[in-house]
Amino acid sequence: MVYGAQVARVNLKDKTERDEVESFLGEFGLILDRDVDYTFVIRNEEPSPQFSLTERAPIVATCSKAKNVLKCFAIAHDLRGEGMAATLVTALIDRLFSEGIHHYFVYTNPCQVKIFSALGFKFVHQNQAVALLENGIYDIRQHLEGLKAKYEIGAGERAALVMNCNPFTLGHQFLIEEAANNHGEVLVFIVEEDKSLFPFATRLALVSEGTKHLPNVKIIPSGEYIISAATFPAYFIREEGERLQAYAELDAAIFGKYFCSSFQILKRYVGEEPYCPVTKAYNETLKKVLPIYGVELEEIRRRPFGDEPISASRVRSLLREGETANLINLLPEVTLRFLDTSLGREIVEKIRKTHSPH
Amino acid sequence: MKITKVAKAGTLESNDILIMVSPKDQGIIELDLESIVMQQFGEVIKQVILHKVQEMGVEGVSIKAQDRGALDCTIAARVETALNRAI
Repeated sequence: MVYGAQVARVNLKDKTERDEVESFLGEFGLILDRDVDYTFVIRNEEPSPQFSLTERAPIVATCSKAKNVLKCFAIAHDLRGEGMAATLVTALIDRLFSEGIHHYFVYTNPCQVKIFSALGFKFVHQNQAVALLENGIYDIRQHLEGLKAKYEIGAGERAALVMNCNPFTLGHQFLIEEAANNHGEVLVFIVEEDKSLFPFATRLALVSEGTKHLPNVKIIPSGEYIISAATFPAYFIREEGERLQAYAELDAAIFGKYFCSSFQILKRYVGEEPYCPVTKAYNETLKKVLPIYGVELEEIRRRPFGDEPISASRVRSLLREGETANLINLLPEVTLRFLDTSLGREIVEKIRKTHSPH
Repeated sequence: MKITKVAKAGTLESNDILIMVSPKDQGIIELDLESIVMQQFGEVIKQVILHKVQEMGVEGVSIKAQDRGALDCTIAARVETALNRAI
């Protein structure tokens, strides 16, 4: 039994300490995710003759967080059932509050859901590979109610799109127009995670401006529950394979289970994805998952210019190569005007210097 | 007394309670309680919390309480600290 277990912070920049955590997690078949920004450990402080004074006591429990997501939990087998998880989670909550984060998620194996529920976490969704729970000063239902009030989303059926718009192109505009022609109301969720070359505020402003002529379109920030680092980390770290599949499924199911039922969304539109394998896999998953919740997915052929479809990544590569003459055929007026402002030029400069896929 | 920011007090350890408070419009007192002894003591815990809120003259607040079997005195102390941190 461990009384008053001491929680200690790990310096992730120190290779020895990091390796130590990684090898401890390795015993449980876990890895220390790349995006982790804070790690705690509990060490076995009982005096033992096996360890000399200079050597540190072995780790018996650990947990980490990446922004507002708690992850990489492991507790030594012989210490389970002693309230270690409560100590670790409390330490992480203290840390989160000191960073001004008052709502957080935990990703875990579906068989561990019980442990976190007992610590006050609320279940959001799970599939075979992963479960998502949340805790803090609000939950997904309150978040949806808040959106409803703020954007005056009333009764009636509607369609939805989720877009990053990095930057807003004629292709995006065309897709929104298509949806707006076919439905009484269209909700466009703009990915809020600020991991793209064009910042969220800019993307939101450009789309709002560029869809002004469509009175039945509402532009809404996507929040933490749609393609965010919490619900879909693989999208931002461009992961492929099994984990991508599990996360994509989770994201799609949350959209169907919560957003579509709460806002009466009958159809979600996506553009055909010719380039990015991650987005392509995501579209495929949407196609499978959304019908389970009674939502139709319509994949629209991208509007082409020349032989190639218009896409934001095509725009970015043109900007990178400095071939700005062609942009007039790919971008709406508002984006062209933005690129000419000082902030716009700054971003173009950044694009030239990086090879970020976003 | 006006609540202006989000604050918390307490832990998730056994025999303790974690209280999170956040601002709400004037006149609204919202309480969301979870407890491992909800069936036996749920009502009593609610009363202890709401009594403290009234005693301190709080105008509008949303309280989220996660109880792990805390005694009444602990509950009152945690609520008081959380509220004081949120002014």
